[in-house]
Amino acid sequence: MANFLAQFLSIKNSCERVVIAVEDVSDLWPLVKKGFEERVPFKRSTLNNKTRNPVFVDNLPAEFILTTDARLRSRFPQEQLLFSFREPYATVVLVTCEDLDEFKTILKPRLKLIVQNDEREWFIVFVSRAPPHNDHATKMAKKVYAKLEVDFSSKKRERCCKLDINGPEASFWEDLESKITECVRNTLDRRIQFYEEEIRKLSEQRFKPVWSFCNFFILKESLAFMFEMAHLHEDSLREYDELELCYLETVNIAGKHRDFGGMEHGDDEAALLNPEKKPLTQIVQDDSFREFEFRQYLFACQAKLLFKLNRPFEVASRGYSFVISFSKALALHESILPFCLREVWIITSCLSLANATAAHYSNGLVAPDIEKEYYRVRGELYSLCRAKFMRLAYLLGYGSAIERSPVNSASLSMLPWPKPAIWPSVPSDASSEVLAKEKMILQVTPRVKHFGIMRKPLPLEPSFLLREANRRRASLSVGNISEIFDGRSTFMDGSGSHASMSRTNSTPGNFESSIDRPMKLAEIFVAAEHALHKTISDPGLRASFSSLDEFEQKYLELSKSAAENYHNSWWKRHGVVLDGEIAAVCFKHGNYDLAAKSYEKVCALYSGEGWEDLLADVLPNLAECQKILNDQAGYLSSCVRLLSLDKNLFLSKDRQAFQSEVVCLAHGEMEHPVPLDVSSLITFSGNSGPPLELCDGDPGILSVILWSGFPDDITLESLSLTLTATSNADEGVKAIRSSGATILNPGRNTITLSLPPQKTGSYVLGVLTGQIGHLRIRSHGYARGGPAESDDLMSYEKPTRPILKVHKPRALVDLAAAVSSALLMNEPQWLGIVLIPINYSLKGAVLHIDTGPGLKIEESQAIEMEIYTNTSKNADGLNDKNNASDVIETQLTLKDGSIALPDWASNITSVLWVPVHAINDGLARGTSAGTVSPERPSVVDGLRTVALKLEFGVSHNQIFERTIAVHFTNPFHVSTRVSDKCSDGTLLLQVILHSQVKACLTIHDAWLDLQDGFAHTGQTDGRPTSAFFPLVVPSASKAGILFSISLKTAITEDEAKLMNPDTILHIRYKIDGNRNLGSHTPMSVGTNGSGGDATQLLTFRSAIVLQRPVLEPCLAIGFLPLPSGGLRVGQLFTMKWRVERLKYPEEKNQDEVQYEVTANSDHWMIAGRKQGHVPLSIKQGSRIEISILCVPLAAGYVRPPQLELPNIGEANISCNPAGPHLVCVFPPPLSSSFCIPA
Amino acid sequence: MIVCIAVVGHQNNPLYIQSFTEADDALKLHHIVHCSLDVVDERVNNPKKSGPMLNETFLGLLYPTENYKVYGYLTNTKVKFILVTTDLDVRDADVRNFFRRFHSAYLDAVSNPFHVPGKKITSKTFAERVSNIVKSVSFHTTG
Repeated sequence: MANFLAQFLSIKNSCERVVIAVEDVSDLWPLVKKGFEERVPFKRSTLNNKTRNPVFVDNLPAEFILTTDARLRSRFPQEQLLFSFREPYATVVLVTCEDLDEFKTILKPRLKLIVQNDEREWFIVFVSRAPPHNDHATKMAKKVYAKLEVDFSSKKRERCCKLDINGPEASFWEDLESKITECVRNTLDRRIQFYEEEIRKLSEQRFKPVWSFCNFFILKESLAFMFEMAHLHEDSLREYDELELCYLETVNIAGKHRDFGGMEHGDDEAALLNPEKKPLTQIVQDDSFREFEFRQYLFACQAKLLFKLNRPFEVASRGYSFVISFSKALALHESILPFCLREVWIITSCLSLANATAAHYSNGLVAPDIEKEYYRVRGELYSLCRAKFMRLAYLLGYGSAIERSPVNSASLSMLPWPKPAIWPSVPSDASSEVLAKEKMILQVTPRVKHFGIMRKPLPLEPSFLLREANRRRASLSVGNISEIFDGRSTFMDGSGSHASMSRTNSTPGNFESSIDRPMKLAEIFVAAEHALHKTISDPGLRASFSSLDEFEQKYLELSKSAAENYHNSWWKRHGVVLDGEIAAVCFKHGNYDLAAKSYEKVCALYSGEGWEDLLADVLPNLAECQKILNDQAGYLSSCVRLLSLDKNLFLSKDRQAFQSEVVCLAHGEMEHPVPLDVSSLITFSGNSGPPLELCDGDPGILSVILWSGFPDDITLESLSLTLTATSNADEGVKAIRSSGATILNPGRNTITLSLPPQKTGSYVLGVLTGQIGHLRIRSHGYARGGPAESDDLMSYEKPTRPILKVHKPRALVDLAAAVSSALLMNEPQWLGIVLIPINYSLKGAVLHIDTGPGLKIEESQAIEMEIYTNTSKNADGLNDKNNASDVIETQLTLKDGSIALPDWASNITSVLWVPVHAINDGLARGTSAGTVSPERPSVVDGLRTVALKLEFGVSHNQIFERTIAVHFTNPFHVSTRVSDKCSDGTLLLQVILHSQVKACLTIHDAWLDLQDGFAHTGQTDGRPTSAFFPLVVPSASKAGILFSISLKTAITEDEAKLMNPDTILHIRYKIDGNRNLGSHTPMSVGTNGSGGDATQLLTFRSAIVLQRPVLEPCLAIGFLPLPSGGLRVGQLFTMKWRVERLKYPEEKNQDEVQYEVTANSDHWMIAGRKQGHVPLSIKQGSRIEISILCVPLAAGYVRPPQLELPNIGEANISCNPAGPHLVCVFPPPLSSSFCIPA
Repeated sequence: MIVCIAVVGHQNNPLYIQSFTEADDALKLHHIVHCSLDVVDERVNNPKKSGPMLNETFLGLLYPTENYKVYGYLTNTKVKFILVTTDLDVRDADVRNFFRRFHSAYLDAVSNPFHVPGKKITSKTFAERVSNIVKSVSFHTTG
């Protein structure tokens, strides 16, 4: 059956469209041909696919062929069956007839004959040529057509339609199309069934020896081709997929040796997209096909269909996996294939796939993820192509032009060398080429990385090419020879020292004679070049290998395409890495700008994800570009980044080189200060432990730990750190500066910074800035108690632990008077001031004392200071402790009103005793006992103030001011009363002494200096019995002394001049008090020590007013009863007083009295004469009434208006009632005027 | 032969990377591991593609290249394990098994109280255990 193959192929090639046969019974075809052919391709048609599901096909192409045409004639029945895909799918019978008889006798039998063949799908088109105005002809045509329908159409199927040439024809064409489609569908169904049946039969015989893949292929491909003709591409594709599966199964059956193919010239060029590249008849072999060509053929057919289905992305993805799997198949047969055919084939196939898919693809038509996938596959294709291209280039000796980067190393070093059966040998006439190659090898200078970084270059070869090539030369034994040359190939690794050795071995003309001699590298290159030249048929590819420049151009093109496609896909990393390779080429060609940009991308990728090893490989390249481009900022930052990489990645020598670059630039030619972020290199943190706590307004010293990542010491000309307030982000960014230059050692450094007073709040470290030469460095790097861990991606997070806390303003110290009780007036006294530090040191504090009026400091006396021991008041444990220890006392002196406090007192409560003297020039006045008298001395008189100002804190920045009030008083308050009035005129005057101080007073002596009109009775010195003394008056108690005095009746004028108007009480006393409690012995007395008791006695004098007895009353005043109903606010009433004369004083001749009414205007409204004169008879007992209208204004108990008689002395008026009293005033009556019920 | 095993953190930062080649070419393996993160990302970000793999930690073959194979494994904490092997004929079950053992070693290493999560694993015990696992595993199923 294999002989059908050629026939099948020729039939297939000649057949393009679905054929529709036209049986032109009545010679009508020329008439209707145009109309018919205008209908193809059919716009809308529905066909059934293999699974009998309707598929909508638009633009179904078809061809009308007359049955009389040679193409449809003279075919053998077997042929017709096997190649039925080319047979007509429908038969259109064209008839016309205008006569019924003619129809019956001639046409009908003829038609019956035509349609009797069941295999055919047919229908009849009746063409009416009747002109529209000819009714008869039209009628006849109708009749004939009706008859036709009766005869040929059945209920199941309409087989007739009518074309009126001269009439309207719109519906006809649709009818025709649907009928044709129906026929095609039916025929297709039947033929699919036929092929399927045949295929099934053949498949059953699959494992029998008679089975032939060729036959299977013909059937399968016929079916596929039929589908393709019917535009059922999906089904066609499925047939090809099945065919491929079946083929792979048969081809892999072991034991049957078959030619693989691929040995012919031009096979290196992939035929992945060109099914017609080689006719199948050429590759047929033993009822099957050669694998090399046939698999490509199958893929090409699939690709063609996929392109028709508009799925270029699928071509790409299928293509990539096909290339990979086919590459494996090629590897199996590598030993028989031409040298490096596999690599060349992969290159061409990848390129053709990439180009073809790009030509068919347009963006945005498919879902984004499919698009991304498409670009990824294209990237993979280019990348694969690139790897193979590099491999071939290496074999030709262009290895030195290939960057030894990780990506190239990864794709090449694990890629095995080609494995030809025999490694190609050097052609005899190639000595000049060998020389040229050697020269090329010698010219290669290993590229030294910037900064002089020495690194072992990454391998680009799986094993040494020299060894591999010589091993594969059949005539050489394996092993020994290659060992010798191990060292030789290392010059490719970058150390050129061995190159000269290889040169001495290869003097020209030496190699031709020795075919068994191991080849030298240059010879291997030349041999490979010649062999490849034979293999490669594509002139473009051949040209790419012709020179180094051509190679680089192609290499760049492939890298760019791969990178570009990867960038459009998910695989960004692949793309960026390839950018790095492009950069390397750009760099080599001096295109530093582009190189730097690409390198930056690569570095950003690696550093963003913390791949430091890879970064360390690329970053020096970037730095070099930047240096060449004079991009100082970039270069510096690259140096800093290099320094901040893991220390193990570079030698310390390299790291020192980085640092010296930085320092050199910083102090060198830079014109303007350049900012530089060194966050990764210099990090800082506060001291471990609690933050520094400061009180508001205090300066401090902040200790900060800096970690330097520089390999050597580095000098910072200035250094400052900002503090950021944690509470308020807007406000507190304050820089604190370090004075002078700072030298940072590698590793940990502790620096101290003086801190000016800060605002309240807690602060964290913000940014470190500093200056190295012209370089302004800046670091945000916060280390958490350790050196910057370079692998930590997130090390820039802000520190949360505050380094400094400035407390809210609070009381740091308190000053108070030590005693609250009064001190002695007019005597030197110790004024106690308690100094209470509140958790704050008072070291170096200075106290300014400013006394107020009436108080002065006794300068002669030293100020004393001691620990405050009053534990009852102060529950502080600190003081309890101090109680146990020795009491410290210090004598201090006042300088310009201020005292420097001693150090011991800085943290404990202490008391300062200041000698003061309160002065009161006035004389104390006694009062009469039993009366509330305003003359009693007010407390305010004894108050003195002391303004204190304490300056303390580290730099006396804290100031505490307080004015304390001190109370001074006389020792006694004196009140007097006449305790008895004797009948002989002697008055017993009781002087009551109220002790005013918190101390025990001892009275040693007391006497009275009487005023005019009084005289002592008995003794003349006015002293009571001396046996009374000493009289002890404890604090807060009273003592009384009785004096007997008498009224002196006659006073001489001299006496009146001499005598005092007041009686003076003199008291000599001693005070026994403690300065911790209150009044005490004046220190001048205590310290003097000289003199006896008399000098120690203090003197107190007080004036006492003695009043002459009261005179006889002359007038009596009393007010008359108030209205019985009581007083109400707003209610008018009359207030009445009655004045009665009790006695008429002779000396005053007055018969009238002057009066005055006074009242509180808040409480009362008064109408009438408030003051005036009223006549009063001089007779004893005469009376008058004074009345006045009053309105009370306020409710409650209020003082009524008073009547006063200003002309008459108080002593002569007797009041009834005597004292002021209160009257009750009711609130106003409720007003009902607004509450009248309706 | 397993040539490289790597642990990559959830921010795609390398936590541990160990190559088992004799040649001094670890950097190319770094590159392979780093680039294979593209595939992991793609699978994780495209749940449609991974489909039934959603709850599976083993990501399978990431990288069908001609010369080596890259397998991936994704833990619940988005830590990735990447394996590079030059064996081309490997059964998935073997790799899965290897990853399970490796995962438990990793768990023990990061459970160390002195290990800072998200930092490189520096434990020598871990390295030793990993090399033991690598030595004991052979993917050669068909010789």
